[in-house]
Amino acid sequence: MAVEALKLIREEEEAGRKLIEEAKESAAKIVKDAEDEIKGLKEKAREDEKRLAVQISDKYTKEGEEEKKAIMKNAEAEAKNLKTRAELNLDSAVNVVLEKILGLR
Amino acid sequence: MGATEIVEKIKNEANAECDEIISEAKENAKKQLEVAREEVELQKKNFVEAEERKEIEEKERIVRATRLNARKLGWDTEEEMIGKVLDESMKRLKEVKRESFKGNSYSNILAGLIKDAALSMVEGSSASSELEVILSEEDASYVDKSMLKGLSDEISAGSVNVRLSLSGEGERIKSAGGVIVRTKDGKIEVNNTFEQRMIRFSTSLKEDVVKVLFKDKE
Repeated sequence: MAVEALKLIREEEEAGRKLIEEAKESAAKIVKDAEDEIKGLKEKAREDEKRLAVQISDKYTKEGEEEKKAIMKNAEAEAKNLKTRAELNLDSAVNVVLEKILGLR
Repeated sequence: MGATEIVEKIKNEANAECDEIISEAKENAKKQLEVAREEVELQKKNFVEAEERKEIEEKERIVRATRLNARKLGWDTEEEMIGKVLDESMKRLKEVKRESFKGNSYSNILAGLIKDAALSMVEGSSASSELEVILSEEDASYVDKSMLKGLSDEISAGSVNVRLSLSGEGERIKSAGGVIVRTKDGKIEVNNTFEQRMIRFSTSLKEDVVKVLFKDKE
């Protein structure tokens, strides 16, 4: 009877040890899965950064182009205006030059 | 304690240890993931901020360069129109020679240039001066000895005696018009050709032209 009982206890101890071993393996897997998930997160973050860099660059390039276009449009209009004014005043300006170089001023 | 109770106790202890191991692992994994997520978020935020700064700077650089180009376009237009005025002025000289300018005949204009040159040469001097007048082939017909005599008398009415004459041996200058006046020995010379006057007065001339050229018509 006592022998039977001891055997039962040993078997249960052995089963317990196995159970703990399995639990340790499961724990290791849980940690490894977490590490893999972290790796995935970082990989995704790198991909996101590439995509974001393109988006940000596109946004500011577009804004820059629009400002550039507006500035040059104004400048061209101003240049045209200058030319028109100059054409209207051309004769008077020629007279100013002639007066000076002919010694009449 | 009987064997059954001992077995039950062993089982319970093993289960409890297993639960603890698993629970610890899960907690550890959860913490690691949380830290990693926070790091990734922070890194993303920093990255976006840095990229924005970089792209804004680049945009501003492009805008500054464009503003400079825009100003240059204005300056180039001004220069182009000033150049046109100067070209047109040189072309108009032929008309001036033919038809006079603002009631002044070309002969009178040349007389004025000769007188100005002579006066600037004898200014402050009390000695008598013999001065030569050199003209272009085209302008030679507008100046004669009697004109020079008249001018000499006019200038000599002051404190100094001046005698103006045409340079000898048909000496001519290559010029669109105007005169060169020099002392007989050639040591002092005043170049009153139009090209030289344009160069001499270029700064003030440009300022005067700009004032008139780009003025709004009232």
